Amino acid sequence: MLNKKSDNDQNKKEIELRLPSKLGYEKVAMDTASSLARRMGFDGDRVESLKTAVSEAVTNAIEHGNQHDAAMKVVVLLTVHDDELVISVTDQGRQALQADRTQDVPNLPEILHQASLNPGADKGGWGIWFIRELMDEVEFTTAPSGGNQVRMVIHLEQP
Amino acid sequence: MLYRPPHPPVAAPNVLVQGNGEMLEDELTVSTRQRDDVAIIDLVGDVTTFAEEKINSAYQEVTAQGAKQILLNFRQNDYINSAGIAILIGIVTEVNRNNQKLAVSGLSQHFQKIFRMVGLAQYADIYQDEDEAVAGFAK
Repeated sequence: MLNKKSDNDQNKKEIELRLPSKLGYEKVAMDTASSLARRMGFDGDRVESLKTAVSEAVTNAIEHGNQHDAAMKVVVLLTVHDDELVISVTDQGRQALQADRTQDVPNLPEILHQASLNPGADKGGWGIWFIRELMDEVEFTTAPSGGNQVRMVIHLEQP
Repeated sequence: MLYRPPHPPVAAPNVLVQGNGEMLEDELTVSTRQRDDVAIIDLVGDVTTFAEEKINSAYQEVTAQGAKQILLNFRQNDYINSAGIAILIGIVTEVNRNNQKLAVSGLSQHFQKIFRMVGLAQYADIYQDEDEAVAGFAK
């Protein structure tokens, strides 16, 4: 179970983005997360990791959760705490994320082997894996509204 | 596939006004050139799902010209997402099939890390810049 910051944390600051489900808008979330992280003091490498994870989470929400329906929203909530940044990405859940997909570990040699036999074989499936590898804490749940939600945490390491 | 009906949006503070979408479309420029015995595919812009046709066309173009050594030359601040990684994996598949040699250059430190995480470094040498890559092919 993740150790979540209290909702009563007086020092937390929240920013909420409501993005149309159209590819390209993940960049808004990336830039916002990047700006916050830099202001918090995260180093360049950590900021880039955060951007990639946020990009993948929002892109998944656009493509899979909301099925590219521009009228549906991806809600990105960024919460700044003293020692961590928490980002939750929630879609409106037109397609539920299967729990076993969140544990996928892509294997490149196997993917290349399958692709050599069938050029049309799926070479993807890296997005969730990137999120898990690049963030300090990751949790996939169903939001109270019914959509898919991923909660990501990146810790600010003290010098 | 589970269907859930859409929920009505709920008003919230700090809302970012949505745009019309046009300004956020990916812009990727792909061009090819030759340097010594290396076919160079220059990639300027974001490598995402929208890049597939351009990258595959460039690869097919240099392959049709007989290229045996191919360099994917990125710009330092190019953004590559998981869909872009899948496209590049497709290129690796074809490079293997055609007995070519592939290298990449110009990636930021972050995306060099991503390439190594994915395992692409086993199939394509990673160089800091074009000069280093061309020298590397010549060895």
